[in-house]
Amino acid sequence: MFEQPLSNQASQPSALTAAAQVSAPEGEPIEFIYKGRKFHIHAIVSRWRESGGWWNRINDGNNHLNEVNIFDDGARAIWRVEAAPEGALNTFEIELDEITKTWQIRPTSRPL
Amino acid sequence: MNSAKPFTHLRVASGFSFKYGTAHTYQLVERAAEFGARSIALTDRDGMAGAVSFVESCEANGIAPILGVNLSFVQKKYRVTLLAQRGHLGSLYRLLTAINMDNDENILTHNLLERFSEYSKNVLLLHGPESQLAFAVSSRQTSKALSIFNSTRELFATQGIECVSHQIRGDGPYSTPLAAKLLGFAQDNSIPAVLSNAVRMLDRSDGPVADVLDAARALVPLSARHIERKNSEAYLKSGAQMYAIADEISRMAGSRDGQLLIKNTNEWAERSALSPRADVGLGQIHLPEPSVVGAGNRSELEAQLRQRCVAGVASRYAGSQLVKANERLEEELSTVRTLGYETYFLTVADITDIARAKGIRVAARGSGAGSLICHALGISGVEPMTHGLLMERFCSPLRGELPDIDIDVESARRLEIYDAVFERYGDSNWSAPGNKSRCATVSMVETYRARHAIRDVGAALGIAPMEIDLIAKSMPHIRSKNIAKALENLPELKNLNLNTPILKAAIELAGRLDGLPRHLAMHPCAIALSDIGLQDLAPIARSSSGYPMVQFDKDGVESIGLLKLDVLGVRMQSSISYAISEIKRTTGAELDIDTIPLNDAPTFDLIKSTRTLGIFQIESPGQRELVGKLAPETFNDLIIDISLFRPGPVKADMITPFLETRQGFRTRPIIHSDLESILKETEGVVVFHEQVIRIIATLTGATLAQADERRRELGSADGQQRVCDWFYPSALAKGYTHKVVTEVWDILRAFASFGFCKAHAAAFALPTYQSAWLKTHHAAAFIAGILTHDPGMYPKRLILSEAKQMGVAIAPIDVNLSSASYRVEDNGGAIRISLSDVSGISAEEVSTIISGQPYIDLADFVYRSGADRPTTEALIMVGGFDQLHKLESGETSGINRRDLLLHLQDLYRLNGAKNSINQSQMNLGFEPPPLEASGLPNLTSSEIVKNEVDILGMDISSHLMEFYGEFLNAIGAVRSSDLLKHRSGSSVLVAGVKVALQTPPIRSGKRVMFLTLDDGFGCNDLTFFESVQGDYAEVLRNSWLFLARGEIRRTGPRGISLRATGAWELAESYEKWRNLTVYGAAASE
Repeated sequence: MFEQPLSNQASQPSALTAAAQVSAPEGEPIEFIYKGRKFHIHAIVSRWRESGGWWNRINDGNNHLNEVNIFDDGARAIWRVEAAPEGALNTFEIELDEITKTWQIRPTSRPL
Repeated sequence: MNSAKPFTHLRVASGFSFKYGTAHTYQLVERAAEFGARSIALTDRDGMAGAVSFVESCEANGIAPILGVNLSFVQKKYRVTLLAQRGHLGSLYRLLTAINMDNDENILTHNLLERFSEYSKNVLLLHGPESQLAFAVSSRQTSKALSIFNSTRELFATQGIECVSHQIRGDGPYSTPLAAKLLGFAQDNSIPAVLSNAVRMLDRSDGPVADVLDAARALVPLSARHIERKNSEAYLKSGAQMYAIADEISRMAGSRDGQLLIKNTNEWAERSALSPRADVGLGQIHLPEPSVVGAGNRSELEAQLRQRCVAGVASRYAGSQLVKANERLEEELSTVRTLGYETYFLTVADITDIARAKGIRVAARGSGAGSLICHALGISGVEPMTHGLLMERFCSPLRGELPDIDIDVESARRLEIYDAVFERYGDSNWSAPGNKSRCATVSMVETYRARHAIRDVGAALGIAPMEIDLIAKSMPHIRSKNIAKALENLPELKNLNLNTPILKAAIELAGRLDGLPRHLAMHPCAIALSDIGLQDLAPIARSSSGYPMVQFDKDGVESIGLLKLDVLGVRMQSSISYAISEIKRTTGAELDIDTIPLNDAPTFDLIKSTRTLGIFQIESPGQRELVGKLAPETFNDLIIDISLFRPGPVKADMITPFLETRQGFRTRPIIHSDLESILKETEGVVVFHEQVIRIIATLTGATLAQADERRRELGSADGQQRVCDWFYPSALAKGYTHKVVTEVWDILRAFASFGFCKAHAAAFALPTYQSAWLKTHHAAAFIAGILTHDPGMYPKRLILSEAKQMGVAIAPIDVNLSSASYRVEDNGGAIRISLSDVSGISAEEVSTIISGQPYIDLADFVYRSGADRPTTEALIMVGGFDQLHKLESGETSGINRRDLLLHLQDLYRLNGAKNSINQSQMNLGFEPPPLEASGLPNLTSSEIVKNEVDILGMDISSHLMEFYGEFLNAIGAVRSSDLLKHRSGSSVLVAGVKVALQTPPIRSGKRVMFLTLDDGFGCNDLTFFESVQGDYAEVLRNSWLFLARGEIRRTGPRGISLRATGAWELAESYEKWRNLTVYGAAASE
């Protein structure tokens, strides 16, 4: 039903990717800015949640535990959406890193 | 919170889904109650061990419990969930029992379902995301899915589809797309569909704990490949969250919203919501039926109990005692009648009768010894009236629970009693419905504590096995949440960097496993008994040892009112039994140890002498010191001694005022003459629960039963306040002065929590006295018993040394005379070492050697005994053939043990390399080679002792200390038996073999080490206080033979102990001395 992720980055948040600007007043994304242009979300195609792999991050440093002793489990929520700047509809994945509360936006390989 | 959207979770796995669920049942219930749920289910994987504690939490939180189980269906990989309907919980239990008894993997098969359909027809079935049906729907095989559904349609009350979305990416199990497909399938075929969250965690943040459990269950380290968890959504979500998921699934399936899904879920919840009392049976009592003990109805039952008790009392009492006993019996019987406990007593009596009929010794322990009924029925051997024991402490109408009787039996024959009970109360046909078992063993939940937690977490995180092992082994038995603190205090871990991220993570995770159930084991001694409805109240599984086992633990079994009987194996009872059988074998006398008088002066002389080694309860160094001070003269003194020797009284220092008054250094405080008779026996100190009960009753006019309820309340702080508020006005109203009331209250408050049940102590004092009596009058038989059954804390070599001091000779192993156990010989003058002690010998060898006795020579032994070559060599080396070949008497000219070893070599060489020799062929084959003296020197006496220690684990021919005799004399070391000749306060040197090194808790909280040394003349008890431990702790832990220095302290008429000022390895000291004397000699030349 779904295509494979674009790259490892699709499922593993990377510190190198800059945070994107997403407007989600009630938790669900509505608008976002991508490559300098504002996109409006027309439909959520699918959404899912991912987490895990915390054990791979233990040796990254002493900060595997946050202040309330919760393991960094890479929890993220992903929306696959249809969005358009002006008329042109595209498909994106918008990801919220639930620990750092930062957003990322990826266009999917082919428009739906 | 969220009560506007109440949701019932129909699928919840707790920690009782071993190594799968991360939450305790009470946590899940409390959370559901917070969310405003009306009910919550517990559907653990493969079993229902958490059911009772779960239902109790539900009752406490005011929400309805639902019970079910998640099982493999048809194949191990497919899972379905069964739920009990209200009014039919018993059917689910019985179906689960049938599955448990059918296969070890708990797989529900079609064959089972067809055989047990009378149960399954009352059970609800849910096909969820892991079911075979879901797999078919997922791969668009709709007709296959439908035929799977229809194949069990007739076998269950109702079947439904369980939709679960954890919002997993893709369209596999736990994704919204699959949940929607299942919902569509259900709608298309008019099948009810419900929503669940397949809960296995309490919070979203519990994911790592779930991963560790998955890894531990699969025995693999954590890696993406092995971990099934894709996100952290399998937690107990709120109603609002679940409504949102219902909408999400339903919309994807083409509906407007999730209303219908929620409505169906609520309907299923209502249909399966159970009553904790009517369905689960909490707070009720389920004893065996009258017919089991041969009564037709209740009045026959009452008559039978009365008849047996009256007869029992008549045979045990006479004259005015009989009158008093009958009065008390009537009171007790009326209590029992009020409570309806007749079958309880008759069933326990039945089991003790079964044991006695098999010739197995039985003794009741615990508060049951306070009941005259127990005594009259032969359950307890202690006579309750003379010792002031109270029925009310054991059983009263004011207490809403079944009384608790524990019985002690011979350890070696404990399972015979199990077998007999199962024969009488069990039913071995588990392959068809309607099993009539009324008994089962009880389970025991093993939970994660520090060691297991750190091992499982360490393995999951891939920490080096050596490192895990080091941490785990150094870990004391503590809760795993206390690991971090414990690690700081362990010197052996100083070299380990505990601050690495991985170890910190491991310690944190281990803490989160704390207390989670890990495994269900069989309780070592509990049996549950009930009526024919037992299996409607509890599911049964087979324990690893093959006994049917209730899946509930002790507390669960008590909560649902089953009769729980602890059958404890006590080695001392086996030892006593063995001693009696040896007395009979050697003298023909039938000794009835249970009827010996309890006032035998020589027995108390032995106890007072502190030579109590081997005697039940009073052989430890601390007890030897206490009996030395207390000097027991009567059976009651023994009861007091046992009651005082416990951490509570030691901590509260109850012993000192008691002893001072007893020895006349202090006058007994008298608060009020009314209390005199209660406190006289313990010199004014409150020692027993029974005294507390009597004091309360006397001062307030309450009944003994009421007074016992008050006593129980004293255990908690607010309970104390309640009792205080009642006690003062009641006692003042009875006319006691304020001063008396205050003094008494202070005593009650201070000592109530340290008190001990006198009935329990009396029950223990009986085998104490019996073993002391046997040691006094039949030393050889008694010591043979304790050598054979090893009941105590001391090594065999010390018991042998004790035997020698008691004038009993130790006869060496002899292939013609030794048996599997220690035998009394020479009219009680000697004990023959048993064959079983030879290191490496098998039970089979022991039995074939014995059946082949007597042997005419070594060759004959080699041909016929069935012993292998290493065993035969060991037997030669410890002198097993000395008598046979007359080595000692020298009749066989010049032959010694070395020659026998060479001869053995020849015998084997003659038969090729064969290790075991076929006897008939051998005899028909060659003549054995001649046994000749080789001229080799015989073993020296020190080599002989070394062989004895290596092979038998004990020194027999001479005491280990004898080799140091010259040295010890030269340095002026004192024998333990001569210590009393020395003045208190003088400093002496002593020596000996380490018998015990203990570090018990002590009043001041400081660590004290107690070292007991056997020097062949008795024991030296040394106390190492903290100030000297630093220099000697290592030598104390690591050495076996000691030279020690200490200051003598006299503690009573025969009591003596040494305050240690030094300890050294004996062999090292000896070497130094020898070098010194040799050097000294050379220097003087």
